[in-house]
Parts: sequence; structure tokens; C-alpha cells
Amino acid sequence: MISIDRLCYNSNLRYVNAGEKFAFAVLSLCACVLSRSIPVSCFVLVIMGILSVWKGGIPFSCYMRYMGVPLVFLLLSSLAIIINFSGEPLDLFAFSVGGIYITGSRESLFYALNLILTALASVSCLYFLSFHTPMPDILSVLRRLRCPKLILELMLLIYRFIFVLFEVAHAIRVSQNSRLGNRNYRTSMKSFGAMASALLIRAMKKSDALYNAMEARCYNGDIRVLDENFPPRGKEIILIVVFEIILYGLVVIEML
Amino acid sequence: MTKQQKHRVLASAVLILTLGVAQNVNAMHIMEGYLPGGFCIAWGVICLPFLWMGFRSIRKSLNENRRVLPLLAMAGAFIFVISSLKIPSVTGSCSHMTGTGLGALLFGPGAVSILGLIVLLFQAILLAHGGLTTLGANVFSMAVAGPFVSYGIYRLCQKGGVNKRLAVFLAAAFGDLFTYCVTAFQLAIAHHSDVSVGGAFAKFLAVFAPTQIPLAVIEGILTVLIIAALETYARPELRAAGFLKEER
Repeated sequence: MISIDRLCYNSNLRYVNAGEKFAFAVLSLCACVLSRSIPVSCFVLVIMGILSVWKGGIPFSCYMRYMGVPLVFLLLSSLAIIINFSGEPLDLFAFSVGGIYITGSRESLFYALNLILTALASVSCLYFLSFHTPMPDILSVLRRLRCPKLILELMLLIYRFIFVLFEVAHAIRVSQNSRLGNRNYRTSMKSFGAMASALLIRAMKKSDALYNAMEARCYNGDIRVLDENFPPRGKEIILIVVFEIILYGLVVIEML
Repeated sequence: MTKQQKHRVLASAVLILTLGVAQNVNAMHIMEGYLPGGFCIAWGVICLPFLWMGFRSIRKSLNENRRVLPLLAMAGAFIFVISSLKIPSVTGSCSHMTGTGLGALLFGPGAVSILGLIVLLFQAILLAHGGLTTLGANVFSMAVAGPFVSYGIYRLCQKGGVNKRLAVFLAAAFGDLFTYCVTAFQLAIAHHSDVSVGGAFAKFLAVFAPTQIPLAVIEGILTVLIIAALETYARPELRAAGFLKEER
């Protein structure tokens, strides 16, 4: 259902301290967004790729497939940046259509390329976090960062319910298919509407049942769960600090 | 124009069309790292008052009745699941609803802002749609602007005595369209290399129009179907959901 979730439970880096991974990914992400330069992006892209595939044990083909996820968005918005309509032709290319030109400049092409590279590097940082850190660990990091308790509780429950609802939705889809739903466009619209409303009704019933169950177990407005804690290791911290110093050094050099 | 140039124009038109219709269409999340740092922070700050409002309203209804907490969580999970299921689309590509318009009608826009924040965070981490640095911008377009417009249109239609189904359709479709306009605007003010902001805005609108406009219509129709089914089968549940907002 959610393949990233399955990947992160099988990752070799799963038992590394979550705070370390979080700090590493977020600091590198900030470096990419701050510098927006080609060398920094390439550096981050390569390092994150190597760490995820070689250290984390994510299959290479799988990693490449995920790097392709943002491609449609990137291509479309780059088109909007590169292509221009104006009265006079710019230096990269120009086609005249009627009285105006469909044209583009060299500068905007480089701008778009830089943007694509920065975005891919940032996505690789995000993937480093999400491919190796299960959601409960991320929540425990957020708890330590003093995120409001109400939001954390909502996140914990929502994370749990997502899988419950996916299961229900899948079962409904199977039974609809076996009863000649989803055959053509009209029936599939109808099936989707019916599924969504049945899903909401089920969700409400389940939430009621959950509340009763929690109440029966002395729920008093506070959900407490044990987190698995993996202590940070000195060697890893040193490596992360060294990497971040090099990275931010590069950022500073690029910005000067 | 020479023959070769004509071919080139044709080729680029075909490229744009295929990119537009034949791919996996998401509800336009701005990708991780696509906005410069300043804009990320600015959009986050703009969202804060709305989120604070949502937080306050949720806490108030929680203090009145604790049973609301699992209900809200279910609502959040429902929005996530609805927005990640494939919906039937005209072109055979696979596309997704935003689901926030439906959420705003059912649970009120205040609660949806907080739920939307959590859902967008989960979408970034679990599905790689959107990102951590662009979370602020995405929350503003999808969890604040869209739902508030949907809810506003729905209330206006109710006051004006418009047919209820039409009102739901208009609310969901225009909420979706507004989300898409806001996203195009967010992209335009951040990236306008050799044109004015207005020109860039028009270009971003045009590039995403072939995917987003049909999507808005489909989202409107589906929302009508869902609300109609709920009204037939689930009056008590609807009342429980409306209870979160006290009105309705």
C-alpha cells in the first residue's frame, strides 16, 4: 500500500538513532535550499544516493524509480520558466507565431536546470529521512523538539488509521469489482463515490469503537506509548558533524 | 516559417500535451527544494494565524467532548486515504483528489487547516508528494486557501438558496481551482527569470491547466456523489461530523 513505509522498516539504517538521521537530513536539506548552486546540489545528491543505496540497502532500481516521482512536476514547471512569449526573439531559440515569438533565453535555461538539480538534491535529503526512519521514530524526534502534544497525538492516531482505512478501501474495491463496479467511466465514478462514503461511515464507527476501547483502558486525555530508543553513537555523530561542516563550507564558498 | 520550424513547433506541442495528460497527476504539490529559503519561511509565517485558529478551535471542542479526538484523527486519515486513491479520469492517466474541499464541508475549515498540515506532512514523508521546506507553501494553498474558499462558497450558496448539490459541486470545484491558482502564484513570485510576475503567473497557470481543470471538475462531481450518498445512508454520522463545527 505505502511502499515507502515498508522500505523504511526493512532499511539497514533503521536502528540508527532517529535524532541523528533527522538532523543530518534536515541540515543537508537547508544547505541545498540556501545555496541553490550546482556544486552543492551535485555533492548532496551523490552522497545521499550512496548512503541510501549502499549503507541503507535500498535497491538501486527502487531508488531511481522514487527519484523519478517529482519529474513530471519539475518538467512542467521548467517548461513554464524556459518558454516565453515576446515581441522580439531571445538568444536561445525562437519560433515566430503570427506577430509574436515563442522564445527562450540561455539564462532562463540555466536557471531551470539549476532549479531541477536543487530540487532533486533536496528530494534525496527527504528520501534519506523517509527511507530509513519509521514514522513513530520521527514522532519521537518531534516530541523532543517540543511539538504541541495535541498535534503529536493526532499524528499518532492518523498514522495508525491510515492503514486501517486503506485496508477497508481495498476490501470495498475488491467487492465492487466482483459485482461489476468500475467497468467503465460512469460506473467507476459511481463506485468511487460509493466507496468514499462507505469509507467515511466505517471510519466514524471505528473511531467510536476506538474511543470506547481507550476509555475502558483508563484513557484520560493522554496517550502514552513506549518508544524504542536507540542511543546515538559517537562515531556517527562525528561523521555527521564533519560532513555538515564540509557542506556548509561549500555553501559559504559558493555564496561569496 | 520553414517546414523544419513547423515540425519543431508541432513536436514541442505534442511534448507539452503528452506531459500534460499522460502522466501521474497529483494535486500540484510544490516539490521539495523548489522554493528559495525566504519564500519557504514567508509562506510558513502566513499560515501560522490560520493554524493557530484551527488549533484553538480543536482544543475548544476537545475540552467540551473528548470523544472528538479519535473522530478528528479518522477525519485526517480519511482525507489522506481519499487523496491517495486513484480516481477515474478522462484521459486514462491516474490522478488524485485533494479531498480538502470535502473535508472543509464536512468538518469545517478551521479543523481542516490542522488536519491538512498533518496530512501534507505525511504525504511528503510517506508518498514523496510535496516536501518539508515547501510545507508552508503547500499548507497555505491546499489546507488554508482551498478549504476556506470551498466553505465560503458553500455558505454563500446556502444563503442564496442555490440547489444543495450544485452548491457542493461549486464549492469543491472552485476550492480546487483556487488551490491551483494559488500554487501557480506561489511558483510565479518565486521564479520569474526574464518576465514580470504577471507573465510568469500566466505561464504557470497555462502549463498546469490541462491537468488541473479536468481534475477540478471530477473532484466536484465526486464530492457531490459522496455527499449525496452520505445524506442517504449516514445522517447520524453527518451530524456527528457537523458537531465539530457546532453549526450546520
